[in-house]
Amino acid sequence: MHEISIVRSVFETLQEAYPDKFKRITKVQIEAGLLSNIQPILIQNAFEALIMEEPALAEIELEVLLLPIIAHCAVCDKDFEVKRHKFMCDCGTPSKNIVQGEELQISRIEFLEN
Amino acid sequence: MSTPSTPKSNRMPVGSVQCDNTTLNLLKANDFVAKAIRDRLPEILVINVCSSPGSGKTTLMQETGKRLSDKLNLAVLVGDPETDRDAVRMKEVGINALQIVTGGMCHIEAQMILQALDHIDLTGVDLLFIENVGNLVCPAAFDLGEDIRVTVLASTEGDDKPKKYPRMFLTSELMVVSKADLLPYVPFSVEAVTQDAREVNPTIEVMAISSLKGDGMDQWCEWLLAKVAEKKAKLATA
Repeated sequence: MHEISIVRSVFETLQEAYPDKFKRITKVQIEAGLLSNIQPILIQNAFEALIMEEPALAEIELEVLLLPIIAHCAVCDKDFEVKRHKFMCDCGTPSKNIVQGEELQISRIEFLEN
Repeated sequence: MSTPSTPKSNRMPVGSVQCDNTTLNLLKANDFVAKAIRDRLPEILVINVCSSPGSGKTTLMQETGKRLSDKLNLAVLVGDPETDRDAVRMKEVGINALQIVTGGMCHIEAQMILQALDHIDLTGVDLLFIENVGNLVCPAAFDLGEDIRVTVLASTEGDDKPKKYPRMFLTSELMVVSKADLLPYVPFSVEAVTQDAREVNPTIEVMAISSLKGDGMDQWCEWLLAKVAEKKAKLATA
């Protein structure tokens, strides 16, 4: 799997997006849809491994939130949660119109005030 | 691990903490490069072929090349963690092929394709196959700038795979059941695998093929020719 490269890209992305705040970041929240094939524990382990190379990141807390898969039913015109990978609305209509579940993104950061 | 991981201190941060809610996509770089690939190949149909290792992707490419050699111009970019064996196999049957060695990586990223495009002659090519690294998990998340994704599932792998690897089957337009000549000998039902795949992706097409014996190859080649024609027609009207 490619957890190490994901964790690396978390910090590269943050460095790029927050050059001035980067050093003051205390917590990073990542949102991962259930379709992203992300395992929170593996991300945490990859992060611990990365800290050995980059001790400066040791004080940062990393949180991974898993997001359920939500699809849209065209017949009912409403969203429904996809459970047990059955992409079908309660009304029986199949749908692959994914509203949520493919995300892999940084959703929130906490940082010390200057 | 020999070195213990650095323990987090329990001290509260000094000073007050602020929050920023944000949306920073971690695959942004890949998606950006994928778009560059699409823009660069407006006349070529690009098909990303995914499967587990050993499902018969390379044999399918070889046989497809032989059958379509007088109908269209085909090229293959083939990814593997190590060795150039697959590209050698394809060149042996006269296919314009280039090996991408991922250096142990479990998937191809768009950047590798973009770099490979500088090392393969695509003059006059109608159809470019990207034979992905054998893996039904990671490649599903990486857009390679393809027009169509096809997943190959061998009859020897079992008909319960689509729900186990939902994202791969969700993002595929076609599921090829390969090694169809073995269907009489293995507990694999094309009907069951179709039902499983369509619970994930209601519009997925299914085709049973034996590259070696030829079953279903006509249907597969016709499908490819139709998709190539569709892409060219789209370009003509654009």
